[in-house]
This record gives sequence, C-alpha cells and structure tokens, in this order.
Amino acid sequence: MAKTILIVDDSSSFRQVVGIALKTAGYSVVEACDGKDALGKLDGRKINLIVSDVNMPVMDGITFVKAAKQLPAYRFTPVIMLTTEAGESKKSEGKAAGVRAWVVKPFQPPVLLDAVSKLILP
Amino acid sequence: MLIVNLDSARGALVQEGRELLAAMEEALLAIETEGYTEERVNAIFRAAHTIKGSAGLFGLESLVNFTHVAESLLDRVRTGELFVEGAMLSLLLTCGDYIGSLLSAVEIGTEAQEPDEALRAWLLTQLQEYLDGTASDTAQEVAPFDEPYARVDVLQGEPVSSDLWHLSWRLSPEVLRNGMDPLSFLRYLGKLGRIVYLHTITDRLPALGDFEAEACYLGFELEFESNASRQEIESVFEFVLEDCLLRILPPHSQIEEYLRLIRELPESPQRLGEILLQSGALTPNELDQVLTRQHAEPQPAPPLGTLLLESQLVPQPVVAAALSKQKQVEDKRNHEQVFIKVEVGKLDQLINLVGELVIAGAATNLHALRRDMDMVEEAAQAMSVLVESIRDASLSLRMVAIGEVFQRFPRVVRDISKELGKDIQLLVTGADTELDKSMVERLADPLMHIVRNAMDHGIETAEERLASGKVASGSLRLNAYHESGSIVIEVSDDGRGLDRQRILDKALQRGLVQPDQSLSDAEVYRLIFEPGFSTAEQVTNLSGRGVGMDVVRRNIELLRGEVEVLSEFGRGATVRIRLPLTLAIIDGFQVMVGDEHFVLPLEQVIECVDLPPQEGRHHLINLRGEPLPFLRLRELFNIGGRASGRESLVVLQHGNSRAGVVVDQLVGEFQAVIKPLGMLFQKSRGLSGSTILGDGRVALILDVANLLQRASALSVGTPVRVSAGGA
Amino acid sequence: MAVIVQREEDASHCLGITGELNIYSAATVLQELLQALEAHRQLEIGLAGVDDFDTAGVQLLLMLKREAARQDKPLTFVQHSAAVREVLDLLNLVAELGDPMVIPLEDGECLS
Repeated sequence: MAKTILIVDDSSSFRQVVGIALKTAGYSVVEACDGKDALGKLDGRKINLIVSDVNMPVMDGITFVKAAKQLPAYRFTPVIMLTTEAGESKKSEGKAAGVRAWVVKPFQPPVLLDAVSKLILP
Repeated sequence: MLIVNLDSARGALVQEGRELLAAMEEALLAIETEGYTEERVNAIFRAAHTIKGSAGLFGLESLVNFTHVAESLLDRVRTGELFVEGAMLSLLLTCGDYIGSLLSAVEIGTEAQEPDEALRAWLLTQLQEYLDGTASDTAQEVAPFDEPYARVDVLQGEPVSSDLWHLSWRLSPEVLRNGMDPLSFLRYLGKLGRIVYLHTITDRLPALGDFEAEACYLGFELEFESNASRQEIESVFEFVLEDCLLRILPPHSQIEEYLRLIRELPESPQRLGEILLQSGALTPNELDQVLTRQHAEPQPAPPLGTLLLESQLVPQPVVAAALSKQKQVEDKRNHEQVFIKVEVGKLDQLINLVGELVIAGAATNLHALRRDMDMVEEAAQAMSVLVESIRDASLSLRMVAIGEVFQRFPRVVRDISKELGKDIQLLVTGADTELDKSMVERLADPLMHIVRNAMDHGIETAEERLASGKVASGSLRLNAYHESGSIVIEVSDDGRGLDRQRILDKALQRGLVQPDQSLSDAEVYRLIFEPGFSTAEQVTNLSGRGVGMDVVRRNIELLRGEVEVLSEFGRGATVRIRLPLTLAIIDGFQVMVGDEHFVLPLEQVIECVDLPPQEGRHHLINLRGEPLPFLRLRELFNIGGRASGRESLVVLQHGNSRAGVVVDQLVGEFQAVIKPLGMLFQKSRGLSGSTILGDGRVALILDVANLLQRASALSVGTPVRVSAGGA
Repeated sequence: MAVIVQREEDASHCLGITGELNIYSAATVLQELLQALEAHRQLEIGLAGVDDFDTAGVQLLLMLKREAARQDKPLTFVQHSAAVREVLDLLNLVAELGDPMVIPLEDGECLS
C-alpha cells in the first residue's frame, strides 16, 4: 500500500504542485490548508509523513506539529517542515517540538521528493 | 528525472499570486490609513512568503529572487527591527505592482524576459537601503539553485587499499521518537551506490529492565561502493546529523583517519578492529598499523557527549534538476481565467443535489419498469425540481462577489488622488453583491476608467470645493446591488457634475447634434459615450486620452449591459452600469405570436393583462392611470395572420422604464439556455439570443431594453383605456 | 495495531504476529511476548502477518532473542513476511533473526 503524506500549506498552487510530484513518485497525498485543517485530517487514518509549512493563517505549522505529537496515533510520525532562511528562531522552536527535517523554501519539486524519500520510500 | 505536467498549476500560481498581492495591498493601505497591527504586517509577509514558495516550485528565479528581498525587509518589520513609514509603504506597494507584472509574464509564458529592468533595479536598491540600515547582515538575492559545496579535504600520508567508502554511524536514543527511522536513510543510501557490507552494532542494547522500546540503541558500520561525492553521501543523513555520530571515510583514506575513527567511536578498539577486518575496510596488516599507533599514542576516551558530530557541515539542498523549459510562444490571445475558486459550501450543495438526482433517477426507472404512470409522473416532477436546483447551484459556482473588482480601488484612489493633489475618500458598499465570474474580469477596465474620470474631471480641487461651499475632501462611492434580475454598479462622486452646456457645445462642435435639436438632460449626458467625445480642457495623464467613455459603453454592451449617467450640476454625478446576472441561462417567460415562440426574461416581466380586440391600435395605453407605451411583436417581426382570440399585453420593465408587448398567447415560465445569435442576426432588432424548446423548436429571446426603446419611440398619439385586469 | 494469536503445536508454543511491529506497538508487543516466553519452555513466533516493520521492531526481536538465551529457552522466528525479510537483509541480521530452517539464497531471497 502506498505511503500516505499529509501536505499542510496555505497555498493551493503549492499543494497542487507538491501533490502532483508526490503522487507521480508513488505516494498517496492528503492535503490541508492550515494547521487546524490538518489536525482535522489526523482522524485515525494512516499518515506516514507530514510535510508542513511554518507560516500559515489560522494555525501555524509549529503549533500544529506540537498538537499532532500529542495524538497517540501520530506521536512518532516524521515531519518535514518548510522554512525560510529567515526562520532560524522558528527552527529552534520546531526542534523543541520534535522536528528534525527542514527544507528551505523556495525549492523545486525534486528537492522535496528527495527529502521525503530520505524519510520514507513510496 | 521527474516529469510532471505543471502547466495547469502555473495558472493556479498566477491566480493565487494575484489574490495574495491584493491581500497585501489591502493590508498596506490599512496600515497607512488605520495604523500598524501585527496581523496586517503578518498578512503582508505571508503574501511575499507564499508567492516566493510557490514560485520556487516552478523554478521562477526572477520572481523568487525579487520576493526574497521584499520578504527579508518584511521580516525585519515583523521582528520590530524596522518601522513602517509612508515611504516604505509606497515602496512596498510598488513592489507589489512589480511582482504582479512578473506574474503576468508567467501567465503568458514570457517569464524569461524581464518586464521592467529599470524598475526592478530601483526597487532592489530601495529595499536594500532599508536592509542595510539594520544591524543584521544584508540580504542578498538568494541563489538557491546552484550553490556549490565549499569543503575540500586535503589528504596526506599513507592510504589504505580499500576502494570503498567507510561509514560509521551511531544513533542517539531519540531518533525514533522524532520520527526518523535509520532504515529509511539506509534504503535511501542505496540510491547513491551499493552497500557492500553492513554490520549492525547491537552492543548498546541495554538489560531488559532498562530497555525502552521507543529508544534507538543501534549503530552501523558500512562499506559502500559509490561514485558519489562526500557531500552527496553526507546529505543522505542531513536530517539526523544532529542526532547521530557519523563518520565518512572516502576510499583509500589514510591509516591516520581510521585511527582517529577508532578513537572517536564508543566501542573498544578491539571490537571495532574485528568489524573493520570482517567488513573488509582494513586488511589485517592495516589494522595492525592502526592498533599499534593507537597504543603508541594513548588518548583519554572522549566522553560520549562530545561524540555527536560537530556540525561544521552545512548540508545544501541537492541541486534540483531544472524543469523542462516552458514553451515560449503560448497562445496569447485569450487569458481568461482557467480556474475559478469555489466556496466549499456551494460545491457541497451541488454534490448533494446531484446525489439526490441519482436517487430520483433510479426511482423513476423503477416506476417506469412497473408501468406505474402516476408514480412515474410524480418521480419526473421531483426530477425536474432537482434539475432546476442543480442548474441554480451550478450557476452559483460561477458567481463571485463584486468585491473582487472593488478591492483594487482603494489603491487606485490613493495613487490617483496623490497624483492629482486632491484629497479623495473612497466609500465602498455592496461589495458582497454577486455576479458572474466572467463579468468580473471584463468589468475591471471599464470601472477603472469611470473611476479615473470621476476623480480627474468630476471632483474639484480642494480650493474650488471650499469656494463652492463644500468640504475640502471629495468623496467617491462604489456601490453595487441586485435589482430585478440585474446587477447594478454605481460610481458616484460629489464633484461638479456634468456641465450640460459644455457638453452641448462640444457636441455641436463635433457635429454630433444639430443646433436646432432640443434634447433632454439624459440625452445630453448620453453624448459623453459617443466615440471621440472628450470635454476635458486639459488632457491630463490620467484620462482624456481620446479613448474615453465610448470604450466603456462598448465594453458594457458586450456584456449585454447598459450604462447611463445621472448628474446634478454642482452636486455630483453617478455613472450607473446595469448588467445581467449571468450570461448563460435565464428564467424565461414563453409567449407566442402566430406559430412563432418568443422568450422574455422572466425577471423583466411585471404583469400580463388581456388586451381587448378593439383597444390598443395606437402605441400607448392607459394602464391604471399610467400611460404605457407598447408595441406588437406581430408587427415588429412581420408575422402574418391575425390573432385568433384575445391578445395579451405583457408589461416589461428595464431599469426605470416600462413598456408592453402585445402577443397572441401566453405559454408560461421556461428555463432558457441562451445560445448566441449568429453574426447575421447580431444587429437584429430586439433580439438577444435564441434557445431550444423542449420539443426541439427554436425560440427567440427578446432584448427587453431594445423593445422598450422602440416602444417609447413609437408611442405617439392619445392613450386609450384598458379595461381589463391582470391575466 | 498488532494482533498476537497463540496456539500449541507439539512441544512448542506458537505465536503469530499480525499487523504493525513498529514503534507504535513495540512496547506492548514486547510485554506480551515476554509473558509468553515466561510461561512456556519453547517459543516459535510467526511473522507472516507483519506488514510494517521498523527499527523498533528489529530491536524488539533482538531483545527477545537475548532474553530467551538468558532463560536458556529455544526461541525461533519463522514465516517472515516480505517486510521483515527486507529489513533483516538490509541490516545483515538474517543469521541472528532469520528462520533457522530456511537457507538464505545468494540474492537475499528466502525459501519459505
């Protein structure tokens, strides 16, 4: 069964492109437009990896990851956080929340695919 | 190589980018008028951030590089290092415009060409000045796609014979809990080469009582065959570098390096020696040398804590393969939006309805099979109700709030009033009034023109205003509302109003009217929509460029709409645009003359009354005390024969005017899918389209506005009484 | 979720694990298997139904094996699923955790 990735980003074009790239590579994809939406998607379904932006309306990525790590079924789910060069302070906050994988925005799809496949293969 | 068709997503990028720019502009203007709030600055930052992120996915370097600098500035604002002031707001607004032009280039596939080099350079200089002013290091244009690695290892001394890479990898207990599974990295490593030998080190597994199932106790020694560079191999582990001890020895490394390796690893030299020997990393002879030196230079074992890798290596994103170049020459003629954003609620409603329709369809089939005609009729009835609801729901998907057009005007008004040196307040009402998406796009330009015109010619300078007893600041109002099946959009100003005499003079001069013609105010005002008519004495930068209100009128008419001007001299003017709600389907009212079917837009039908045969020979009747002009469709369309029974009068309204049309027979309500008329009929009198009836025949859709004009033109003579009531 | 099914067969107590043998289930599965080891003289653990197997799962098997050796009881893992075999091959742990009755082939594929 294909591994499932939850993409959390407020840009729909971003999700679209990343979604196409991941699906082409053989992953299943679930999309969410902000942290709150993403928490709703953590409803018991199997999620093998979370790819989340930091900067989002409603609920930011760090708050989301902290909340996700409180859910028993998702507490060990690997997370890739998307950040900017300017986001160093956020990085330490994310680290405290258990985030280890960072990908600096902007990037092209192969960069993210590469990062994803380091953590899970399709 | 990943091959993905991203063309459709490019459209989404452009649309989303524009929306973000609009939000950014709104927030910038809000800061200017209402002051700084964190929320507003965050909105602006997020806009730049998101555009940059999405653009990066497409490899749009020019867009990425520029938004990056703007984002850096905004980040400083967000963190409080910089304060927003007027000049910065103007700069950021212009940056938004420039980003918009980059998006436009993406839309038409010309992103390889710089749209405005001078502007870009100027903006970057300005942004950089702000950035230079702060303590942090300067933001350079980021070059994320091809940064080379900087580290070069200089090797000296005696190399070992193994031509394989040697990797020593010890994991910290926390990795599993952080979601990192060492297995994944090992699998990924297989992409770069071949794992010739792997030894799993289980020495650190504790006694059962101390064992935590979620902690990691393993380590690995690998012999790896690969042509990859050290950095490439190291990048495999980039996400665990902080949670592990990793040593990478290239093929033919020095004996010295193995010595250092053994010192740094937690296991005993003897144990490691065995593994290195077994794995083939070292020959027995080489191992001997290492161990001899190990004894010769006794070193205190380093405490475990310091064993974690010093993070002197900055892993760089792996160079991304460039996406295939977009076709340069794309079809540029039609850039109407391919995508449309739809409220989820609307879509859900539609899906529900379709679901119900499916069920109703099944029920109809069932009843039909049983030959139960009553039930079939009932089911068919239910289906047609559903079909109607689905039509409404799907049409509503095309409906968007006019606020989408209005939202650009705060900025426009701000910029133009600065340019003109006038103080003008903008008031927007009815922004949530919905209209067809396709109209939104085509309405923007005409509205812009009207607004500019009002600000330039309508609203006076502060001195003039004060002199005529008005408040110094002018006001401009954008308003929208629904009225009998149309959407009405008004642009009003409290300026000087239209000058009847000046318009007349100009019209005479241009030969548009004859000196002896007597014209009503409305007729005079309508003259400003004539081609080439411009009354501005001074041609300013903003309007009065020759192309004027005639273009506005043409654009509105293309949308099956109309435009009029109301004015009160000295008090102000209002330009009123009236458009149909949608271009696709109308609720029609079907009538017949002879054997011909006609459809009238139901929303414009006020009432139907019987017309006694002897009445209405003239073109004006008295309907409950009001004179009502009317015309006969039979005469208008030269239909032969005579009405067999009583004729009916259908009273129509368009805007403020009313008139009646006389028909033979009233058929009833009917949903008409509008089919455009061919070129031949486009100029036809009183027709706006055609539609296909349920039985396959064609019915003509009547253009009420045109009929009304004709009716009032014909209405000469004395009114006659209508004795009948409503039909 | 991991499900453990137990049955007696000849002298050996047989267990079958189905589902996840990973970080989410490792702690509970280990407790149950340790209890089973405690209660029987010989244990055979079937892994045919394991569809998700990670480092935590590997460590669990290693710990069980060590504990059985300490208690001097025969413990064998049998009927490895594809997911388990892939990991054991990758980590070169077939000798420790593989099925003793199966001869590993050159390419790492197992007869079963």
